Amino acid sequence: MSTIQPQGRSGPAKGKGKGGARRTENNRIYAHPLPLVFTEPQGKLLPTALGILGISPSRVEKPHCEGVFDPTTRSVWVNNSKDAMILWRRGFFGKGNLSRSEPSWLARQVNARQAAGKYMTSEEVTAKRRAERKQFKLDRARAIAAVAAEAEAAFAEGRVIDTEEMKANIPSAATWKPSTSSTQESELPEASAEQLEPDGEISAEPLEDLEHMQLTLPEAFFLSWALDCLTVLHPKTMDPMTLQELWTSFQSAHLSPHLLLLPSASQPLRTDNPFLLNYVFFHHYRSLGWVIKNGIKFCADYLLYKRGPVFHHAEFSMMLIPVYEDPEDEKSSPFNLPNAAPFTWQWLSTVNRVNSQVQKTLMLSYVTIPAQSRMTESSLTSPACFAQYSIREVTIRRFVPARMRD
Amino acid sequence: MRRLSLPDSMEQHTTYAALSALLPKYPRSAGAVYQTYNDLLLAQQWSNLEVVDLPSSQRCGFRGQKKAADGISCVVPCSLAEMLCVGWLEGVMAELGAAEVYLAIAAEDSSTVYYRVRAGVSKPPV
Repeated sequence: MSTIQPQGRSGPAKGKGKGGARRTENNRIYAHPLPLVFTEPQGKLLPTALGILGISPSRVEKPHCEGVFDPTTRSVWVNNSKDAMILWRRGFFGKGNLSRSEPSWLARQVNARQAAGKYMTSEEVTAKRRAERKQFKLDRARAIAAVAAEAEAAFAEGRVIDTEEMKANIPSAATWKPSTSSTQESELPEASAEQLEPDGEISAEPLEDLEHMQLTLPEAFFLSWALDCLTVLHPKTMDPMTLQELWTSFQSAHLSPHLLLLPSASQPLRTDNPFLLNYVFFHHYRSLGWVIKNGIKFCADYLLYKRGPVFHHAEFSMMLIPVYEDPEDEKSSPFNLPNAAPFTWQWLSTVNRVNSQVQKTLMLSYVTIPAQSRMTESSLTSPACFAQYSIREVTIRRFVPARMRD
Repeated sequence: MRRLSLPDSMEQHTTYAALSALLPKYPRSAGAVYQTYNDLLLAQQWSNLEVVDLPSSQRCGFRGQKKAADGISCVVPCSLAEMLCVGWLEGVMAELGAAEVYLAIAAEDSSTVYYRVRAGVSKPPV
């Protein structure tokens, strides 16, 4: 069965039984939108008694996950796969550094070794779909060339050609079927048999999991500070870092990552530190319920998902536009923030075009940076400074007056 | 098949060894270089991957084969926050000795996107 679909058909509509079963399974696995789990106590007597006294009987369960701060990649690495799964399944935090979403590199290696993976990971499904689409394009190009050649020959002879019949010979996404799948599958076992013969020990060799789950600095700070679910360890000493240490190191990572320097007189804390801006953005939309992921694949800074990547494609592409309250701060800034300067219409047009093609709405999110001059030394040493930042959105949609009246 | 214990930091990771000579030389681009190297070696599974010193752009690049039977391809990593210009790309291509290079753009959540940059104009295949 071909995995490429003609435009307009959404995922869940593939088959009622298949789509429904996957949806139920996803609803079960990804039931918790945050790592916190609220548990109701069993029985009727105690909750009622507590309720009369005005005490809520439900409890909050917090997972205790651990990560290591890596200043070079400006991220926090979660090496424990159990913690990584908890953080991914309850809120879609983080990304496997060798995978599209949750860490699946080890599963892919196992599948490749066994050469008959029963459960294909999302990367394998995408690879199969891309290979089929490439084959479809080649077949279509060949068919178009054949039809054109036949039309030329008919014209030279003076014959009348039936254009509708010609067009029917060209495959479309709806009519094309992968033709060489059977031969490809039969080739695979032979290749793997050849590999196994010289060294029959391959299956017994232990496979080291070389992948970790990577959390961005805003995600890690949110999990540590707002939800208290994550402990971040210092990369050199492996000691848990306090919130104060996280606050200063995450900002220093943008100043001089290789030295892990703390801010000093020559490099004081600044209000336009990229960590602060990205955190303001992340915290704002996360607390409104959106799942935030990186938008590099769609020319944007972030993608906003209503529930999560496994449920539906992202509806919004967000660009983070920093706005300086004091222009002097921009001149003295060591960061050179992207999009701080006025952007060109070519840039806007490019980003809007890319996102329109994938049916996402482009939004510009303006984050106002308070003036360095009105912030005191002490105000920048804690998240209390966030009260001075503000954020507002502008939606961009292309308007074509001639065509948009209907 | 049993899982071995995971390393705790970047320097302890098995893949760091190949980069340990050049990575400390260019600390600003270290993150993008390390991330791209891991992606090429383990996720994209390139063969015969070698690290190339690119002093003009203050970083290391890579040379290798996408699949075992392919020709040599070159990759130069950069981070999303960097500003590049045509001169920078020309310098990199001259140092790698290639007319075509893959620009690997690394984001902080570990996503890496690749753009193929070629000298001159070329028509897409299909």
